[in-house]
Amino acid sequence: MNQSEPVFRLENVTRRYGDLTALDSINFEAPRNEYLSLLGPSGSGKTCLLRIIAGFEKPDEGKVYFQGKDITSLPAHERGIGFVFQNFALFPHLSVFENIAFGFRNGTMNVDASEIDKRVGEAVEMVGLAGLEDRNPEQISGGQKQRVALARTLVMQPKLVLLDEPLGALDANLRGRMQTELRMIREQLDVTFLHVTGSETEALAMGDTVSVLDSGKIIQTGAPDEIYNDPSSSDVALFLNRFNLFEGKLEKGSFAGPFGEVAVKKVQPNDRDMYAIRYDRTKAYKKGQTVPGPALPAKFLASEYLGSSIIFLFETVDRKQVEIDHHLSFGDPDEYKVGEEYVLSWDPAQALVFGKEATQ
Amino acid sequence: MESKVLKPVLAVYVAAFILFLYGPFFVLAILSFQQGPEGGPQFPIIEWSTYWYRHLFGFTPPSRIAPLPVGEALVRSLTLAFMTMVTATVLGVMAAQAFRRRFKGKGLVFYLIVLGMMVPGVLTGLGTSLLANNVIGIERHWWSTAFVAHVVYTFPFAFLVMLAILNRFDNSVEEASWALGVSPVRTFRKVTFPLIFPGVLSAMLFAFTLSFDEFPRTLFASGRDQTLPLAIYGTFSVEIHPNIFAFGVMTTLFSFALLSVYGILMALSVRRAKKTAMQEDIV
Repeated sequence: MNQSEPVFRLENVTRRYGDLTALDSINFEAPRNEYLSLLGPSGSGKTCLLRIIAGFEKPDEGKVYFQGKDITSLPAHERGIGFVFQNFALFPHLSVFENIAFGFRNGTMNVDASEIDKRVGEAVEMVGLAGLEDRNPEQISGGQKQRVALARTLVMQPKLVLLDEPLGALDANLRGRMQTELRMIREQLDVTFLHVTGSETEALAMGDTVSVLDSGKIIQTGAPDEIYNDPSSSDVALFLNRFNLFEGKLEKGSFAGPFGEVAVKKVQPNDRDMYAIRYDRTKAYKKGQTVPGPALPAKFLASEYLGSSIIFLFETVDRKQVEIDHHLSFGDPDEYKVGEEYVLSWDPAQALVFGKEATQ
Repeated sequence: MESKVLKPVLAVYVAAFILFLYGPFFVLAILSFQQGPEGGPQFPIIEWSTYWYRHLFGFTPPSRIAPLPVGEALVRSLTLAFMTMVTATVLGVMAAQAFRRRFKGKGLVFYLIVLGMMVPGVLTGLGTSLLANNVIGIERHWWSTAFVAHVVYTFPFAFLVMLAILNRFDNSVEEASWALGVSPVRTFRKVTFPLIFPGVLSAMLFAFTLSFDEFPRTLFASGRDQTLPLAIYGTFSVEIHPNIFAFGVMTTLFSFALLSVYGILMALSVRRAKKTAMQEDIV
């Protein structure tokens, strides 16, 4: 297998549950030795996608390739693909050590006892669990469980590990630490991680490449900054949770929205006309002040202090919430009065416009 | 306020419950120490003695009261209960395992299985006997026709116990095992079975006890050689002596012993984890 060949590839994979199409003719692949994150809102089919790659479910149509071979009809235990569950799925009746040694002891690989001790020992060391080998899963913390689940999978030296919302069951503090750790552990090994998550920050932080899944289709794949700065559709912008999105009408290079008409230069193809401006590029002005671009009247609702920044929530006349993210390194925020009317505005050059027009 | 009324009512209820649960046994136990061989199965106790226990094991001088003909019946019943227990539990585990997946006619099959415990026992027994004698044309025995009748009766209980256990079972531990390259068969042995073992024990206990004192189905289905409940009932038709009570005490003690074994096995499978936890705390 050469270096450029993808480690796995999905070809027109479709999966239906009754009338519901969970995966709609997906083509998807990942290069060797990479951290790939897959962002999808709940119900987008992301877990289904992982389960099909792992072999827990069969696709209704299409093929799955792993290391160049068609594995569509191969049962899960013959695939050699690792899987880390959101709930960790440790074997509750076995010690930490035996959890990690489980694949060696019960798989088809013939590994002798001293080799098992050595390899499990190394795995324990790598994930920082030394000293906890004899504990039972119920006696260790969530973060430690996560590490056992990881060690148990990595000790088998798979070329691909699927992680199903692996940080979802951890508290925020630990999640941050595990993010760094997951990346570091992966970099020591020649393995591809496919990390599925519903959290946009996690997806952007973790992935060398990020793919966005929506309604059973991959709608964008790219580097994290590419996805963040240049979402290919209004849906991607919506999932990133960093954009105020406005509906409106695009005609002859001008977008008519709740903020009036704005001239636009670049339009990206979309199934409907949408206007997007990032939270941190939206600003509020007092009535009567000169604004840099479109003017959107809105009432101040509330603020949320996040430490490094403050989120201000406004509500427009048609009851749509608009968010402003003010980073505190740019100076103290203005004071707003709850219930008072302000005018929101932004630099129109920084807005993204999506339109049906561009599709033609 | 409310507890002023509720508490006494509940207390009376609990007392009545305990009285009716253990009362009969206590009466039998007391009467089993009646003097023999003249003492009858009623109060007052003429004189306390262990005569009827000795009579049971044949340690008393011959008298007009024949020894209780239950020795062979007891062995038969134990063997039958054991056979039934193993078969019904294996079938119950397998059927419940099958019910984890979707298949055509799942609902219908469920009701067909559960029907086994709903159908009146006398009818099942009679039906089994007619089926064996008149339709298939085989002789009735406790180890053939009665065994089948017992399995049909106890299997739904084992099945329901296992269904409840497997309902709460987390499928992802099995999938995790597969993903580590372990075959489904070995996964069942190494992961699924150890985790559902407490349920298997309960299913076994159900099947054993239900079979051990099964009466109506066995009455018609067992043929010439009688099981223990039949043999005991047979002695009632002649004359009741306190040796029956002595025997009742013995079998009840045996049942308690069985329950204790069950309890110990259960506690062991739960405590193994806890024990290591305590060691950790001490260190």
